[in-house]
This record gives sequence, structure tokens and C-alpha cells, in this order.
Amino acid sequence: MTALPPAVAGGSTTVDEVPERGLRIRGLRKWYGDTRALDGLDLDARPGEILGVAGPNGAGKSTLIKILAGETSADAGEIHLDGRPWDTATERDRVAVVHQEPQLFPNLTVAQNLMVGREGTRALVRRLDEQERSLMADLAILEYADHEIGSVPLAIQQRVEIGRALARDARVFLFDEPNSALTQEESTDLFRRMHLLADGGNVVVLVSHRIAELAEHTDRVALILDGLCTSVLADDALTPDGIAAGLVTGQAIREPEEQIVVHLGDDAATALRLDEWTHGAGEFHDIDLHVRAGEIIAIVGVEGSGARELVRSIAGFERGSGRIEVGGRSGGSAAASGTSLVSADRQTSLFTNLTIGDNMVSRLNREITAGGVALRRSRMREISHRLREQFRVKAPSVQLPIGSLSGGNQQKVAIAAAIVKRPEVLVLEEPTRGVDIGSKREIYRLMREYASQGHAVIIYCTEVPEVFEAADLVYIVSDGRLSEPLIVMNYADVEALARAVTRLERHAGAPPAP
Amino acid sequence: MAGNTTNTAPEAVAGGSAGDRWSGRALAVGLRVGGLLIAILIVIVVFTLLSKPNTFLTITNSLGVMRSMSTIAIVALGLTLVIVVGEIDLSFGYMYGLASILIGVAWVVWGWPIYLAIPLAFAAAVGVGSINAFLVTVLKIPSFIVTLGTGQLVFGTTLLVSNTATLNPAYPPPGRAVPQDQVEWFFGLSNQDLPLGLPMQAIWMLGVALVIGFILSRSLFGFRLKAIGGNPAAAALARLPIVKYKFAAFIICSMLATLAAMLDFAFIGSVQPNAGVGLLFPVFAAVIIGGASLSGGRGTAIGTLSGALLLAIIANGLALLSAGSYLSNFVSGAVTIAAVVLDRFTQSLRR
Repeated sequence: MTALPPAVAGGSTTVDEVPERGLRIRGLRKWYGDTRALDGLDLDARPGEILGVAGPNGAGKSTLIKILAGETSADAGEIHLDGRPWDTATERDRVAVVHQEPQLFPNLTVAQNLMVGREGTRALVRRLDEQERSLMADLAILEYADHEIGSVPLAIQQRVEIGRALARDARVFLFDEPNSALTQEESTDLFRRMHLLADGGNVVVLVSHRIAELAEHTDRVALILDGLCTSVLADDALTPDGIAAGLVTGQAIREPEEQIVVHLGDDAATALRLDEWTHGAGEFHDIDLHVRAGEIIAIVGVEGSGARELVRSIAGFERGSGRIEVGGRSGGSAAASGTSLVSADRQTSLFTNLTIGDNMVSRLNREITAGGVALRRSRMREISHRLREQFRVKAPSVQLPIGSLSGGNQQKVAIAAAIVKRPEVLVLEEPTRGVDIGSKREIYRLMREYASQGHAVIIYCTEVPEVFEAADLVYIVSDGRLSEPLIVMNYADVEALARAVTRLERHAGAPPAP
Repeated sequence: MAGNTTNTAPEAVAGGSAGDRWSGRALAVGLRVGGLLIAILIVIVVFTLLSKPNTFLTITNSLGVMRSMSTIAIVALGLTLVIVVGEIDLSFGYMYGLASILIGVAWVVWGWPIYLAIPLAFAAAVGVGSINAFLVTVLKIPSFIVTLGTGQLVFGTTLLVSNTATLNPAYPPPGRAVPQDQVEWFFGLSNQDLPLGLPMQAIWMLGVALVIGFILSRSLFGFRLKAIGGNPAAAALARLPIVKYKFAAFIICSMLATLAAMLDFAFIGSVQPNAGVGLLFPVFAAVIIGGASLSGGRGTAIGTLSGALLLAIIANGLALLSAGSYLSNFVSGAVTIAAVVLDRFTQSLRR
């Protein structure tokens, strides 16, 4: 791995001068309050290459894309494109962003989408011109010209997005996790087009969590951590292992001696059992999983792998078929009564119109009422005060609106509300996303405490450091299949675990042999 | 990334003084109702000064205002539940019309005893509320569209059943007679000799307000209605009984419209098919002025009651000034909008 000092990271020249061609970013800074999304990021993208961008959630990737797409402005820093300063907020025509969800007009046809913004000045609706027709033919979307965007497959929509950008002579193509919802075939085609764009001398940037694809399709990969580009991998250093290790460097906060060793006898009770568990919409198939009480299980997988759907299906929020058994009872109602889910998004786990205390007890019934009818305010106060102490929620009063808390403390409240219901299986999606280090520690401690009281905790993770710090076992999901478990304790450091996870991800993710 | 965290430190929000006892939420409700009461007092003072002596601020007139607000208040208290759970009901006015006509037709035309005619109207209310809730929760059609449609279906039913005739138990169709004891019992529902000449309907209104007030601020049902209305997605993940509670809210709303219809029929003594059509604005206005949020999760019984009172005082005062009905429309429209503007303002102050 070639770790360059940040000042010249990504630059091949030692003298820092503005290159005549390509994208050059220097000292890009964007703070949200105390959160440093970008903290003086330097990055270079050359025309003719595909530059990969990788980093854990919250590292600043999405902020970088938002700035380049002109959706938000930077606090400081400069961006040059082809030797000229580029004001991304006003010169939006020079960039195309291809998202997992294309930003098109779903009620217009493919052809109309391509012409939006360049309709001409005549009052009459104009037809496609020759240039546009050949462009559409190149992208194989001409046959869809009169279809409404909402009715064509996602892969076609993405090509329309590319076509729109080409039609207005864009120079920079940002691909933001573009293929998480595509089939294998569609994503192969998308990569082929990415290479064509790069060969045409455009600046192509691919932001992805899929390490194998980054290694295969990009010329260089910039690693972004804590709002900075920490290193750029190229040539021999550009391997899946290299990327995986680079992503987790310095990310673990667990000290070796802090490592919690859990010895579960074979007689530990089964908290959850899945047999031939298959997703209603086909995101995962024939999963067999056995989780014992007292364990913390991590399930890892990129978006689109089926991992998130698997975790949600355990809590009954995605349809699954097969056999599910929670706490010795089988069937959907057992799963519903024996599990609690905390979603990754605090917008869907908290009630913003309620106080901190009311959020904490929002899932309770008998515990806070007389006979399920009248609320017992004193009980509610008692429980919420106890939870505030136990979860160390930093709030002067539990009667304050939930919005007055920091993200980390809000997350503690969301988890408290789920735990106080005492489910046999506690299911958490990305439990520390967007949470500060201090709260992270607290949340891991609370998960461990709950597990040690004889419950199972299942977490959906996208970050290896989280697995390393929080879980006993980790399973990897790729293409809807579950890997063999890895015993986290067996890995001395987070880099070793990251390499092992990546390897399993690749093996399971390989297209089935013909 | 930082989108869902607030940058304000908790201490700053607490303002040091907001202890557990006098919470931010209670303070907001207090401010809101307090503000409304001040507005009501100002309106009273203005009308007392403007009107001829001994017309506005008299016991008789005050009792009249209480009676005239009761219909709107009772229906609005039901609507408050629907609004709190994050839905809208536009059909209550037509439900009011159907209920009066069903009582009238079953009793006067079909010759049913009043003791069966009233349950029939309430059964219809349960039916209409259930249909609304079914379409909203099971078929997932927006409640605005659902109740816009069911309102017309209900209105059509009313016209069909009534044959567009006005009904009066004193004038039954030829060959039918309405037993006098039933007439007395029924009219007695809204006409009783009470101390101080208190109108009977005001007693009903206070009773309903107590029940809805208990539901919203003291019951698990109300607590969860607010949670569901505040964040339906989170409520689903927390496994709150969303479908059941929305059924309950729509059914209670229809039943309170029916109660109001029955009491008005008993007070006025006759009923016509287009009764209730004019309720849409004042009922919604009372709920909104009362501080309920149309996006759900917020609303109180005392607020809605105060909203209805304010509207009734304005209508009454302007009528005493013989101001012409257009002015009443102007003022009540302006007051409704002003209430929301004021709400935004106080909310931004709290932040």
C-alpha cells in the first residue's frame, strides 16, 4: 500500500500546480456544526482513468458528492476542472451524478428526459435531433425513446442519466453506488460504459462499498477517512486486501485487553433458528442460521446483497418463507412478539413530536398503564429516569423534546426503547451510524450487557470495525447467500478481520459457474 | 450525516428552568391555550365596547354562545382524534346529515320507536367510520381522497333515504302518529330545565370534552395516537397497533358527528337533508385554531374547545352588531390563518 502524505495524496506531481486537464480538489472543507464531514480534503482525478473512492459511512464521501453535484457548497477549499476554477453550485452542467436512484423526471418519456433543459426556444415541442438519436443509439436506449421513465428498468434509467450528461457535454461523471440494485449482467454493462466514458477522456469517479469491484475496475482508489483522503492505492497496492485493510486502519477503538471473550457452552439456549429462510422478493435464499442466547451476531453485506433484508425479516419487517423460531416458539407471531428492531435511520426509530422520556416508553403497554387504559405518568417517569441513568443519556431532563439531543444520545434513546421491551432477540440495523465515538462505546457496552442477560443481539453492519468491536460471530451475505461464520475473537486486529470478511464476500459473491 | 442531529446543546434548550415538572411539551400546550384564552378575552372586550349595552356581555347571550358552539365543538373533538393520528376526515358533515335523517326517517316515516332509530344512526356512523378507516389503512388510499369520496356517497344516501324532504315529528306522514312520550323524551335530550338556564347541549359538550381530553392526555390510546401521527414509520417498527387505532379514530369521529346531529335535531325539533353541509369549515377551523397539527401528532381537547369558543364568540358578536354575514366569513377565515401563523412564530421562538 502506498500511503502518501495527504498534501499530495492523489497527485502524481511533486510540484502542486493546477493540471491542464482533469479534476483537482484542494483543502475542501465542510462542517455541520461540530461534525467535520470534510476536513480539508485533497483529491485528483485524471481524465482517462476511473478513480475509485472508498471509505466507511460518515467518512465524507456523500458530502464530497453533494458538493461536486452542486447540491451543497463547501465552507472552504478550491476545485479546478481542466485548469479553470470550477464553481460547482452554478456550473452544474459539467457534472453528471449517477445514483442508485436516478434523478430523472418519472412522468416524462426517455426522449423528453434527454431534452429537459435544452428544449430550444420555440413554443412547439421539438423532436430529437440527429446527434441525440445517435447518442441514444450508442447507449442502447433509442428503442425506449417514447417510454415513460417510471416504466423502464433501473439500468435503462441510469443510461438515460448518462445520456443526459453526454448531451450537455458534461466532463465529470460521478457514479455513486450505482449498481447495488442491478443484476450481474446489468452491472457488467454499466462498468463497460464507465470504461468507455473514461476512454473518451472524461473524468470518471466511482464511489462504492464493493471492494472487489473497486479493485477490478478502477485505476486508482482514494481512501477517505474522517473527511480526509488518507491514501491512494494504485498498481500493485490496488488489491481487495489492500483496500479492505486501508479502510479500517486506525478505525478500531477496542484495546486488545478490552476484548470480551465469551464462552458459551453447547447447552446455551437457542434464541433464534432459521431453516431454509427465503425472502419474499428473492433478496436472499435458503438461509440456515442458529443464534444462541448470550451471543452478539453481526451480519455483514453491501447494499443489495440481501443482508439488510435478512436482518429486517428476522424482526418480521420483510416477508420471508421457511421456518423461523424465536425463543423456542415458531412462526411469524413468535417472531413478532420475541423481537425488537431498531432501524438504521433515526427518522424511523424516534417520534420527534414526543419527549425523550415518552420515546423511551413508547413501545410499552402494561408496564405504563393501569389495565392497558389509563397512563400511569409516575411509572413512565420512573422508567424513563432509570433508562436515562442506565443508558447514560446526556439530557438535563427526560421531558425535553427528543430533537434536543445529539445524534449519539438519540440513538441511545432509540435502543433503550427497544431493550426495555425485553425482546428475546434484539435486532439493530447499523447501530452506530452517525454516532460519535463516546456514544459508540456506550452502545456497544449496552449491547453486551443485554446479551449477557441471556438474550441474543443481531446487528446489521456495513463497517468491519463495528463487527470487530461489538460482535462474537460474523456472517457475510453476498448475493443472498450466508457465509460460514467467522469467530471475531480469533482475529488479532481489525485489518486481519477485514481481509477475512472481504475474502468471504468475494467467494460468495462470485457469479455461479455456468 | 449531520442532517438528523441538532447542533443545539441540550443545556441551551433546557433554558435552565424547564424542569421535569413543567416540561417543554406542557409549556407549549400551556402557551397555546393561554394565548387562545387571551385572544378570547380581547375579542370579548372589543365586542362589549362595540355592542349596545346589555346585549353582548349578558348571561343570556353567554349561554346562547355556549349552545351555539356545542355542535361545532362536539364534532371538532372527534375530528381532533383523526387529525392527531395523522389523517383527515372530510365526511363528518355529511355523516351529521345522514344521522339526523336516519333518526328522522326511521322514527317519523317508518314508525320505528326512537329508541331504535337512534341506535340505527350510531350503527351507520360505525359503518361509515369503518369504511373510511378500511380504505385508508388496508387499501392505503390517502384519507383526503377517501373521505372526499365517502362524504358524497353518504350525502347521496341521505338524499335517497330522506326523499329530500324535511322531517318533523309534529307532522308525520298521513296515517302515522309519533307517540307523544317519545317526542318528549327525545326533545328532552337537548331541552332540560337546568340551574342558571344552562343549555343541555353545553353539558353534553363538556362531557364529550372530558372524555376526549382523557383519551388524548391520560390514556395509552391517546399516547399512541400521537406517536402514530407523529411518525407512522417509527410506529410501524415499534409494532404499535396502527390499523386498529385508525379504525377507532375514524369511528369515534363519525359517532360524535352523529351525537351532535341527534342533539341538534332534538333541540330544533325538525331536520332537513342538507343539515351539516356547512360544518366543514367551522369544525376544521376550531381544530386548527386549537393548535392541532394537520401533519399529525399534536392536538388537545382544551385547545379544540377554545377554538370552537373563539369562533362562536366572533359569530355571535358580529351578529349582534348586525355586521352582515360576509364580515363573519372574513373574520373567521382571517383568524384561522392568523392562528397558524402565530403557531409557527411561537414554535420558532421556542427553538
